Amino acid sequence: MQRKAQIKVDKLTYHYGTGPPVLKDISFEIEKGECIALIGQNGAGKTTLAKHFNGLHRPSSGKVYIDGTDTASMKVSELARKVGFVFQNPDHQIFHDTVAREVAFGLKNLRLSPREIEERTAAALEAVGLAEHRQTYPFNLSKGQRQRVALASVLAMRTEIIVLDEPTTGQDFRESVQIMEIVRKLNENGHTIIFITHDMSLVARYARRVLVLCRGEILADGDVRSVFAAPEILKKTYLRPPQITNLAQRLGRHSIPPGVLGVRELYELLVKMRREKIGCCN
Amino acid sequence: MAAVTEYISRNSPIHRLNPLTKMIWALSILGMGLLFNDYRYLLALLASVLLVAAAAGVLRSLLPAAAGLTVLALVLLLVQALFYGQGQVLFYLVPISNRLAVTGPGLLSGLAMAARMMALVLSFLIFLATTRTRDIVLTLVEKLRVPYDYAFMFTTALRFIPAFLSEVRQISEAQQARAYAVEGWNPVKKIKAYAPVAVPLVLLSLNKADQLAMAMETRGYGGGRRTCLRESKMGTADYALSAFLVLLLAGSAAARLAGYGLM
Amino acid sequence: MVTLALLEIENFSFSYPRSEQPALREINLKVEKGEFIGITGPTGAGKSTLTYCLNGIIPHFLGGSYQGRISLGGTSIFDLSPAQISRLVGSVFQDPEAQLISPEVEQEVAFGPENLGLPPAEIGKRIGKALELAGIPGLRNRPTANLSGGEKQRVAIAAALAMLPEILVLDEPTSELDPLGTDEIFKVLDILNKEHGMTIIMVEQKTEQLAAYASRILVFNEGRIALEGEPRQVFVRRRELEEIGVRIPQVARLAGLLGRYEGCALPLTVEEGHLYLESILRG
Repeated sequence: MQRKAQIKVDKLTYHYGTGPPVLKDISFEIEKGECIALIGQNGAGKTTLAKHFNGLHRPSSGKVYIDGTDTASMKVSELARKVGFVFQNPDHQIFHDTVAREVAFGLKNLRLSPREIEERTAAALEAVGLAEHRQTYPFNLSKGQRQRVALASVLAMRTEIIVLDEPTTGQDFRESVQIMEIVRKLNENGHTIIFITHDMSLVARYARRVLVLCRGEILADGDVRSVFAAPEILKKTYLRPPQITNLAQRLGRHSIPPGVLGVRELYELLVKMRREKIGCCN
Repeated sequence: MAAVTEYISRNSPIHRLNPLTKMIWALSILGMGLLFNDYRYLLALLASVLLVAAAAGVLRSLLPAAAGLTVLALVLLLVQALFYGQGQVLFYLVPISNRLAVTGPGLLSGLAMAARMMALVLSFLIFLATTRTRDIVLTLVEKLRVPYDYAFMFTTALRFIPAFLSEVRQISEAQQARAYAVEGWNPVKKIKAYAPVAVPLVLLSLNKADQLAMAMETRGYGGGRRTCLRESKMGTADYALSAFLVLLLAGSAAARLAGYGLM
Repeated sequence: MVTLALLEIENFSFSYPRSEQPALREINLKVEKGEFIGITGPTGAGKSTLTYCLNGIIPHFLGGSYQGRISLGGTSIFDLSPAQISRLVGSVFQDPEAQLISPEVEQEVAFGPENLGLPPAEIGKRIGKALELAGIPGLRNRPTANLSGGEKQRVAIAAALAMLPEILVLDEPTSELDPLGTDEIFKVLDILNKEHGMTIIMVEQKTEQLAAYASRILVFNEGRIALEGEPRQVFVRRRELEEIGVRIPQVARLAGLLGRYEGCALPLTVEEGHLYLESILRG
């Protein structure tokens, strides 16, 4: 039995008006429950591609299917029930005077019952750790907290697919980790996650598959380890693997594999090697 | 739409003219447009404006704006035609009950108003398209003695139009992604429906204004007398053209007083 | 003879208007000419606030109340007008778009010198020099609209340099940029600092790059300078950094786990990490 892909992109080409194509003949499939990072330099077409998933952009040619249905036949408000999109700048959407009302906005648009709205709002705020700020005026929160409010408002809509456009840009280290841990939990609960980022160490830590875009084309599509093990590919779109991966790749003559993803991993490899060499622990 | 108020770089004789000359031109179009209301005169005025656009090499770039204006012009034409109230009736918009009469003179009057509106707006857009922002500021400050603050405010407002349009698009996309849709015909609902876009837009704009002001302060703005990198020079072509335009305007006023160009 | 530090901050505290908590508490700092100071720390720690105190935005634009002293070359900064400060301290902000005053690069860089009332010939010269220092001499006649983020930020740097400041203060200039743009900015700053002796104070979250280029790191937390020192001295204090919430460069973290680098210094870059690991693996 063939498993139907949750998102299917088939020969997608897109241009703004009469300009040159921003996306060229892109094809790939995403299955339910995947956690994918979309990377590439600015202007490569990452956000443009992602906006095809919820209908904000329509293909100039080619097709996009969500759950087997062609998005061309669905309105943006319909697709919003299947694909949640967290934008880069939370200030592009916040306009209520309390966090709770802001989170409830999407649910009101979905015309849910007040009880359902209340329940989902509470659950979403809990999930992002802002339950105590229900009644806070959103602009009294830090940018990182506002980003979590935006995430909560999308979470409350309980879409199967969640797209996050640069969720950690402009945030400090702790806030970045906080958001990505929430994203990890969402993925563990079965949500399909697609996130756009410039932070390669985030990709190494949280994504399982990577789509590399360069000038509107897919440069690479594979599991994180294999993509990061081939830095020549990343170089074409002016990206580098995380510092630790970079370092591991210089140790090839010591049989360190080129696809090391984290500090712990390299540490354990080195300890093992040293033990084997010296014959005792240190 | 975003590029409509922006400078379009070309190497045309119009571009090389001093901004003051072009301002005088735009003002003379305004003057002649207001003096006359004969549709033939105003259509000729519009044609002359389009010719200038072509000479400047910006006609193709301004076509989208012209198209938008045409829609507005048609509305204007229709409204004027309906409410003119005199002259021989050509047809009725609602044939059965003989309501909403469209008269011959009404149509022509509507045509005149539409042509006037398009000529005026297009001339202003041509001015913006053929003149660099810094030269507009220079002319306003040096030739017209406008205080720098006001000249700067004017050009900055223009510069931010495409930025704000882009913000409106991004905000509206963010709200649409939360299943927000403006449906129905209820006017109260429609006004309320702007809050999700208007509120973030206002807040973002205030924020942007703050950031711009901070950047300006840290570069010494408001510290005393300003100088300018460039000068604004008037060439012979500028003097000749300006003189010609002033005379043309004066001549038009005389013609109008003598009864020409009226319907 | 005692040389005055270029910038001296003594027991400086600051509170925003209508705020109960001070944003900066008893900051003490001396910056010598030619230093490259990297400032990092969690949101709300007071990093941006400090930059505002250095470029005149505080108190002239944002108000607030302060105690203590900030002196630039011996003069108290609070005795100077914003215009006077602008000749000493150049500023670059986070959002590449929002700090652009003009739709054209040349006019953008001219803006500052024009405000100073300089003669046009001098302004023209300064523009050329500033664009060169910022590594973008070819962009002089371009409109700013279609420039990349990295290019826009370098225009902002050039615009600040045209004022011929003593210190360049940058507030998270790479946060909106992609890795290429980020590299461009750090490279320009490195050249400005090492080849032209520009004193740089840069607030950043990207500690891996900061560790490679800064001569001194300040970690801010809750309005105070919690940690201070050369990058190698700061990034070795793993526990404190984790508690405050500062990202430690991965190479440094690895070295922290493996130990045995007292002979050489804590490695911070990939090159240093490579040398360090080779020596470890040799036994």
